[in-house]
Amino acid sequence: MEILIQQLVNSLSVASVTILIGMGITLIFGLAGIVNFAHGEFLMIGGIATWFFVGLGLNFFAAVVLAMGVVGALGFVAERGLFRFTLDRPMNGFIMSIGISVILQHVVIRIFNEFQKSIPDPVGAVWVVGGVHIMAMRAVVVAITAVVVAITYFGISRSRYGMALRASVSDQSTAELMGVPVRRYVTGVFVYGSILAGLGGALMVALFPITPFVGSVVITRGFVVSLMGGLGNVYGAVVAGLVLGLVDGLSAGYGYPEWTDAYSLIIMIVILIVRPQGLLSGTLGPKAS
Amino acid sequence: MEYRELEVSTPNGELGKSGRLAKGKTSKEQNHGLKGRLVAHGRLEQIIVAVAIVVAMAALPSLHIGYRFLSIAITTGYTAIALYGLGLQFGQAGIMSVGHAAMIGIGAYVAAMLFVHFGIGFWGALPASIIVAAIAGGLVGLPSLRVAGQHYIIITFCFCALLVVCLTNGGGLTGAATGLDVGSIGRVFGVNFDKLDNYYYLVLSALALSLAIFYAIANSSYGRTLRAIRENEQLAQAIGINIDLQKIGVFMVSGAFAGAAGILQAYYLRHISPTLYGAFPSLYLALMVMLGGARLIYGPLIGAIIVNFLPEVMNLNPVDSRIAYGVALLVVILLLPGGVSAGLLDIYRWLTVRSHALFGKTSLAP
Repeated sequence: MEILIQQLVNSLSVASVTILIGMGITLIFGLAGIVNFAHGEFLMIGGIATWFFVGLGLNFFAAVVLAMGVVGALGFVAERGLFRFTLDRPMNGFIMSIGISVILQHVVIRIFNEFQKSIPDPVGAVWVVGGVHIMAMRAVVVAITAVVVAITYFGISRSRYGMALRASVSDQSTAELMGVPVRRYVTGVFVYGSILAGLGGALMVALFPITPFVGSVVITRGFVVSLMGGLGNVYGAVVAGLVLGLVDGLSAGYGYPEWTDAYSLIIMIVILIVRPQGLLSGTLGPKAS
Repeated sequence: MEYRELEVSTPNGELGKSGRLAKGKTSKEQNHGLKGRLVAHGRLEQIIVAVAIVVAMAALPSLHIGYRFLSIAITTGYTAIALYGLGLQFGQAGIMSVGHAAMIGIGAYVAAMLFVHFGIGFWGALPASIIVAAIAGGLVGLPSLRVAGQHYIIITFCFCALLVVCLTNGGGLTGAATGLDVGSIGRVFGVNFDKLDNYYYLVLSALALSLAIFYAIANSSYGRTLRAIRENEQLAQAIGINIDLQKIGVFMVSGAFAGAAGILQAYYLRHISPTLYGAFPSLYLALMVMLGGARLIYGPLIGAIIVNFLPEVMNLNPVDSRIAYGVALLVVILLLPGGVSAGLLDIYRWLTVRSHALFGKTSLAP
């Protein structure tokens, strides 16, 4: 029983990172209409930047903020410099993002190296609750994710900016006529999603070591979460991320751990075939055909 | 409708944007005037270019270019074979895949497993690899009937990742993470395929065959059907094209090309492992086909040559060369959406039209 709770707690913290990346993808894909294959690399850069700043002697939480800034700036440059030219041809944008992911990965390898990078546990405390050992850092990760999810959810569904954003997804030209600066909203969503990826990477490197190759693993899980939850649906991404995290955590403990990756892939393929709009309803993406 | 329409590989008319099924050269000439003429001219030019390329490639080993260069040429060759399959799928039918290395992997693993477990050699395994990869291609293509566009591309990526997981966990059957050793082709009719030159010629003839098949399909009524589906699916369905059947068909053809590439790779490397067929090799295949251009006949070949020879020619280390590919892909997508081959063709057309205008070889009037 203790082992089960232990597994659940651990998978909750892993699920947090998955939720952050999935939420970024679901916003960028579902609301900005851009499939960014380099999103996993954005996360990787968030993690590497955190590692770098911590290595410079910075406090972990300051490093996280800086890393989010770095990835946000990267997202801004990518959107303004590259993706905006392919908005009317989403497939080209998709393929371009493959190029971006290859570039980012190898630029990081070039600047640093391809080996694992880790930072010392920033909190370092271990709580014992009823015989269950919980690393305090894992609890911090879950708490940060919960706050970010809440902010994003209310930002999208309650604020006037979120409403304007959803309006421009469902009818771009009408939204433009109503005075919504649609272009700026697309950039804003892209940068916000990138910042979430940066945060995800920063929290990931606090939990376990990462390599410059982590992006391709993460991107698959991110797509699984965003498509399972329905594109543009923050709530759906959270539910899907939790489900996926629990499946992973439990399969690592009780099932066949070597098949862990396969479960999420099979779930995703089945969902995409049976319900292309996702398990929970979402947009199909503004320009997805 | 991702790119500009390019006429050269499609001398016959096809379903235009107006939705009219234009057939035959005459209507094309009426439609496009000068361009139509150039296409008619193009036949001879195409044959000259094809012969020149084949002669140049066949002459490579006799130039004593060295072991390393020839190895890259072989890699380029079998990669290009797979790219021609992807070229048909993406260029003609308009369905991209970022999991195409999985198809190559299936071809390679079928060959390796037949060799390791049943002792069946290259020639026996060749049809098996092609057929199994074709069936796998059709199966992976099934979701595309329901799921379109970017969603389907993500599915192909998932299939690829799934295959790597399965191969890694396959135990003795697939050799797990270390992979499988493959034998050599040995001697056939006195030709020793262990010699690199001869293996190169084997790959080259397979490549020439796939070029010919690509050309034949692109210029057949089947090619026209695929392009009709690419341009406007609803319209194609409305005029009686069985979209589902045709799509699965092109996936199977694409898989068959990849299967052939896979067995050639397996018998060249003599050892295969799951990482050869994972996410990154798949992304590079997509990159190559985009770089070269999927619609024109030399596009996939140009893409494979650029990506495989660039590090060697420019003396780049692997990391730098990958950055260079990525940058090249961005430049191509933003500036030359039809790929390098379409860019070259545009330049060539521009030059010939200018020379015609200057020297009066052809009247510009219709």
